[in-house]
Amino acid sequence: MAEVSLRHIKKIYPNTEKQKKKGDVHRVSHLKVTAEGVVAVDDFNLEIADREFIVLVGPSGCGKSTTLRMVAGLEDISGGELLIDGKLVNDVAPKDRDIAMVFQSYALYPHMTVRENMAFPLKLKKVPQAEIDKKVNEAAEILGITEYLDRKPKALSGGQRQRVAIGRAIVREPKVLLMDEPLSNLDAKLRNQMRAEIIKLRQRINTTFIYVTHDQTEAMTLGDRIVIMRDGEVQQIGTPQEVFDHPANLFVSGFIGVPQMNYFDAKLLKADGKYTVELDGKTIELSAEKQARLAANDVEPQDITLGIRPEHIALFGEGSEMFHGTVDVSEMMGSSVHLHLQSLGKDVIVIVPTMDLQGIHHDGIKAGQEIAFTFGGNVVHIFGKDEKNLEF
Amino acid sequence: MDKNTLSAENRRKNILSAVLGIICIIYVLPVVAVVINSFKVNTYVKTNTFDIPTGEMWAGFANFIKGMTFGNYPFWKSAMYSTLITILSTALILLFTSMAAWYIARVNSKFCKAVYYLCVFSMVVPFQMVMFTLSKTADKLHLNTPWTIPIVYLGFGAGLAIFMFVGFVKSIPIEIEEAAAIDGCGPLRTYFSVVFPMLRPTMISVGILEIMWVWNDYLLPVLVLDINEYRTIPIHIQYLKGSYGTVDLGATMALILMSIIPVIIFYLACQKYIIKGVAAGAVKG
Repeated sequence: MAEVSLRHIKKIYPNTEKQKKKGDVHRVSHLKVTAEGVVAVDDFNLEIADREFIVLVGPSGCGKSTTLRMVAGLEDISGGELLIDGKLVNDVAPKDRDIAMVFQSYALYPHMTVRENMAFPLKLKKVPQAEIDKKVNEAAEILGITEYLDRKPKALSGGQRQRVAIGRAIVREPKVLLMDEPLSNLDAKLRNQMRAEIIKLRQRINTTFIYVTHDQTEAMTLGDRIVIMRDGEVQQIGTPQEVFDHPANLFVSGFIGVPQMNYFDAKLLKADGKYTVELDGKTIELSAEKQARLAANDVEPQDITLGIRPEHIALFGEGSEMFHGTVDVSEMMGSSVHLHLQSLGKDVIVIVPTMDLQGIHHDGIKAGQEIAFTFGGNVVHIFGKDEKNLEF
Repeated sequence: MDKNTLSAENRRKNILSAVLGIICIIYVLPVVAVVINSFKVNTYVKTNTFDIPTGEMWAGFANFIKGMTFGNYPFWKSAMYSTLITILSTALILLFTSMAAWYIARVNSKFCKAVYYLCVFSMVVPFQMVMFTLSKTADKLHLNTPWTIPIVYLGFGAGLAIFMFVGFVKSIPIEIEEAAAIDGCGPLRTYFSVVFPMLRPTMISVGILEIMWVWNDYLLPVLVLDINEYRTIPIHIQYLKGSYGTVDLGATMALILMSIIPVIIFYLACQKYIIKGVAAGAVKG
């Protein structure tokens, strides 16, 4: 139960002497490299409200875990301010920050039983034994691990171990609960199950969550707000719906949503104060909302990258506004079919429900078949050459 | 064709088994000699060294009683000092080297690397090279009593112990220590409550190796300790001489047997841990 403020947070890993001598400090992925060293996190700003569930998401090496570790106190902060409940904690030891953390590798104490693992932080706080027992039993009940309390971690499955790790974190009733890819070591089925349990857990305990994942499904389902990161920089902060509907740039649009958004080279035109998009000689009318946003930003006509999500493409109908393509691969997913088309010189993915509202079956579409598709001007995304969404 | 290859293979295996068998016998022979001669009357030890003691050669437990009561230095005192030095030295080595190894493995600094390589280097320096200067230094620093000589053992035992502990600590996921830090542990608490219990397999193997070495060691105590006042079992055996330098070999063998029996039992009981510990260090180190 606490507000967390990250203000201009920065993490720089100093260049090693070897790198300095060699002068090859520019070989670390796409991270910014300065004379001081490799910038793993750059100018991170976020105000987290009390009891909010924040998810940091991004590809490997984007700095999300580093940010979380800085909040935990496991990494020094190179610059900026970290406040928990209004108190500056940059130089406060992890144990004095009143936080708890769940690790990807569970990090249970192998020589202790489940009960001892969960009681350990309380024992260190010198909580009376009766209270420790009560809290451990309560947490074990919430997580459904009561029958394993006297087992050692090695006698538990991955899912059970992760529950114990979560249990150890929640018995302390921390101000902030940090989770570093807690579900990544679990198989797909167990991950879905645990994800649902984290949602339930969140409703039962009153604490602020910061959750790190590379899985966008986890991010979308769990987070009140999502922070999308890339190469140490925040790309966008918003609710799951916001980042899905209005991605700030090409990277976010591609990272959020499965399968990935389709992109086309197109032209943004403006006539009589009205914006339209021209793609393959066809004109796409934009919605009033998009018109207003583009007008507000005073966007000039220009070459653009047009983004359209696979689920926003429709197959029915024929006419001048239809685009044509050849089916390369048809993937039957059960409730829907993913069609990979060759169209407009690109690989285009279309998601079609197996049976649409008119009762027409689409599961018979085979590779090599010619089909026509279209999409509305209200669901397209317009990115400038600098990869930014022109509506922002 | 196949049969020929198989029989050639079998022959090779048989020859190898025979050669290795002979080597095993050569290795075990001195121990067997000690066992049979410890029950033999002294005069037959030299003349009928490898004969089984029967009839007039059989001395029963007379050699053991004689060995323990010979001379004016009581055997129980030697046994006590040996036990004291062994336990103290091993405890010191296990505690301090495991702590040092934890620091070396976790703090990635040049100083730590230097200390680590220095420790590894110390394993290749023969004791004989440093023994004379060491005995003088030990005298000056008053490390010449059974209560202080463990510090000298700590120095000599640190190389191997740190080498093995560092290898093992590196195999422990650092997240466990980070979890402890978040749960409320300072460095000391983390070490004693979390790291120390996890080091148990290596503790046992290092402990066994150090116990065997310290218990059997002759040269260091003979150089450092005041022999008239403090004797360990190996020194006690060395002093089993009668007047005019005559040595009662039967009694000597009996005491040697007595001194190696605890180590052999200890080793047999714990040998699986030695192999486990050495392998853990070797693979991850």
